[in-house]
Amino acid sequence: MPLPDQTDGQHDIGQRLRVLVDAPAEAAWNMAVDGALLELAEGPTLRIYGWQPHAVSLGYFQKIADFADLPKGTSIVRRTTGGGAIHHGDELTFSLALPASLLPSDIAESYVVLHDAIVRALAAIGVTCCRATSSKVATARPNSRWCFETPVRDDLITDAGKLLGSAQRRTNTAEPRVLHHGSLVLNQPQHTPFVAAVCDQVAITEVLRRDLQTRLIAELTNVLGLTAQPGERTAAENAMAARLCDEQFRNPTHLSRR
Amino acid sequence: MRPDDLKFQKSHEWCKIDGDVATIGISDYAVSHLSDLVFLDLPDVGSTVTAGESFGEIESVKAVSSLYSPVTGEVLESNEELGDSLEWLSEEPFGKAWMIKVKLTAEGSDLMDGAAYDAHCKAEG
Repeated sequence: MPLPDQTDGQHDIGQRLRVLVDAPAEAAWNMAVDGALLELAEGPTLRIYGWQPHAVSLGYFQKIADFADLPKGTSIVRRTTGGGAIHHGDELTFSLALPASLLPSDIAESYVVLHDAIVRALAAIGVTCCRATSSKVATARPNSRWCFETPVRDDLITDAGKLLGSAQRRTNTAEPRVLHHGSLVLNQPQHTPFVAAVCDQVAITEVLRRDLQTRLIAELTNVLGLTAQPGERTAAENAMAARLCDEQFRNPTHLSRR
Repeated sequence: MRPDDLKFQKSHEWCKIDGDVATIGISDYAVSHLSDLVFLDLPDVGSTVTAGESFGEIESVKAVSSLYSPVTGEVLESNEELGDSLEWLSEEPFGKAWMIKVKLTAEGSDLMDGAAYDAHCKAEG
């Protein structure tokens, strides 16, 4: 199924959302590419990717010592975004790198806007979930080290638990920018059984994967008021990603900085 | 109550300059847009900060935001208690929630007074 290309070359279709669909890659490279997009992407960019091998990503402020019990050989990376750790297995992962002006300036409200778009994308493939608005959920980070273990306000949840992990990095320079990470679980990771997953409600097939991806792109594009256009990374973005991968995300010093 | 003698930059940090010492924090506007603060990372005493460049990071609602220095100079003090008392940022953003004190070498070139900063915040929405 081709990516949705909403440009027809004949009409003024407004600002484009460049859509990148990457093959599954190692954790350090994934984070390096997102870092390069945050720094260099000239226009709003949506990237969809996966994890090969499966990996654990730590939130930026988490302590590596708290994960000493992970199985030997586990691929681990420290994200630049906040929140708790995620075991990235079979999931639909996406990142948005875009000017902060495209999202509400209130951070909590920005999650609401994006999460509601994802609720609609999931509903279109027959998956029911909602934003956690109950006063019973925590308003700030719970004590759990795992992102999915204890939902907080505005997280996407089902009866089985939390379905989507989200986190952001914000720069506030002359042109403030946002990197938004989203991890939508398709099948439960082996080591974190408390995670809800799309497979709880519908069978995961290749057709469903492609349909979900298409609908996710469409809903995120729509909520941002943009027009989707398939694209490629620039040479400069690839060069910066290579540098960040070697100097930062593959660097044990970066991982153990906290 | 916000003191009248503060200078601000567009990224929402404030500084109060007293002789050759600048005290730096973030504004009430910034705090209100962050909400649910959970982590703060400030520079060590003796390190150097540069006007317009990041001097620390703060996490709220799973979002990490950089903090940008309004001045250049050496860090004289870092508010070590603040990291464990982030509610101070909501209670007294211009008082006990100060973040660092810097021996001033140079001010940033785009600092605003309170009135200009208010206009900036209004425009930002």
